[in-house]
Amino acid sequence: MWRKIWKHKVEFYPYFSIYLFWFVGSFLSSLRVQNRPGIVTLGLITIPSILLITIAFVKTYKELPAD
Amino acid sequence: MANDVRNRTGKNATGGAFITWAYVFLYLIIGISTYIHHVHPWILSVPDNRNVASWQHPAFEETAIYDRMTEEERRQVLKEGVPQGGDLTAQFATDLFMIIVSWFCFIHARANFGSWMASCFFIGSFIFTGLEESIWILTGRYLGGLLEHNPGGTFFGTYWFSKGGFWFFETPLVACLGWFAIAYSCVWVAGKVFPRMGLWGRAVVGGLIAMGTDLWADPVATSPELMNWVWAKGDFFLFFGIPFYNFIGWFLLIFLFAVIWEKLPDMERKWGRTGSSALFLTVCTSGTVLVALFIYVVWFLVSGGILHQFGLETVVQIPKGW
Repeated sequence: MWRKIWKHKVEFYPYFSIYLFWFVGSFLSSLRVQNRPGIVTLGLITIPSILLITIAFVKTYKELPAD
Repeated sequence: MANDVRNRTGKNATGGAFITWAYVFLYLIIGISTYIHHVHPWILSVPDNRNVASWQHPAFEETAIYDRMTEEERRQVLKEGVPQGGDLTAQFATDLFMIIVSWFCFIHARANFGSWMASCFFIGSFIFTGLEESIWILTGRYLGGLLEHNPGGTFFGTYWFSKGGFWFFETPLVACLGWFAIAYSCVWVAGKVFPRMGLWGRAVVGGLIAMGTDLWADPVATSPELMNWVWAKGDFFLFFGIPFYNFIGWFLLIFLFAVIWEKLPDMERKWGRTGSSALFLTVCTSGTVLVALFIYVVWFLVSGGILHQFGLETVVQIPKGW
């Protein structure tokens, strides 16, 4: 699986990019916000977006030619 | 989406002289803006990160962050300034991170749509988001506070970014590159998940996915601990301390940009490579002004006016106190 993704890595760049942005820009930053647990909980609002991005990731993987 | 557009443009087509000059012009603006912002901040009245008490139009007390802070946090910011506001190393490191993130998207765009389409998306993103943000920031900075809107109070209609290494006018490189990466990824994801959906549908879904991620990123980035940018008071609907027109703006910009960008191959057939590039960038430039006007008229004047007629006098906060 990983070898296949690595071989066609460019196809996954948009997902990698947005996951990275979400993880560093939102998730890690939210942990720096003290005394406001609600702001971490607010992350639940991004679930639909993250779900759609993951669906696109899986579809891209399934569409790749077999090795 | 990729097959549609790829079939209509040469995959290996280059951007041509016009795009090369657009890149030169873009880097020139970034260089001059960065120099002015850091070396001569008085030219554009850049608010001082170390002296919050010196802020004007709006003053510290007239910002949304003021209401989100405890009394102790206010005292600390007044004493020490914006958190990490003077740490240029961290700000250039953030620029580098965003350059890497957006580079992934650019490589993908070039592989799937060709250099010309990828460059148009990249340069167009800068113009679309950089100009849009700079218009809001500078008009609010110089003209804010002149109008009284209820609900919402005195209308500043502005914000500003407190941190950034490189700048495009008054918008940090991070914001422009972040917008490019998010817009491109979300429009791509919409096309991948809903391949049978038409152009307008994909643009709507792309805009909604981007807005969904932004709904968390912005309240975090504008928290009292980070203060990466500062909002003025004036909107009647605050979502976790952020004026809601910000999210409407994100949706509208990505929606419109996606529609215009996907029309590029048709434009190229009619007006050629140079003509369509020039038209695309002109539409991006005028589009920013139209979006700003649309938000001001429809959101502030019409929606705010209707709510005022129904008796709403104070700002709606979700949740109050944040």
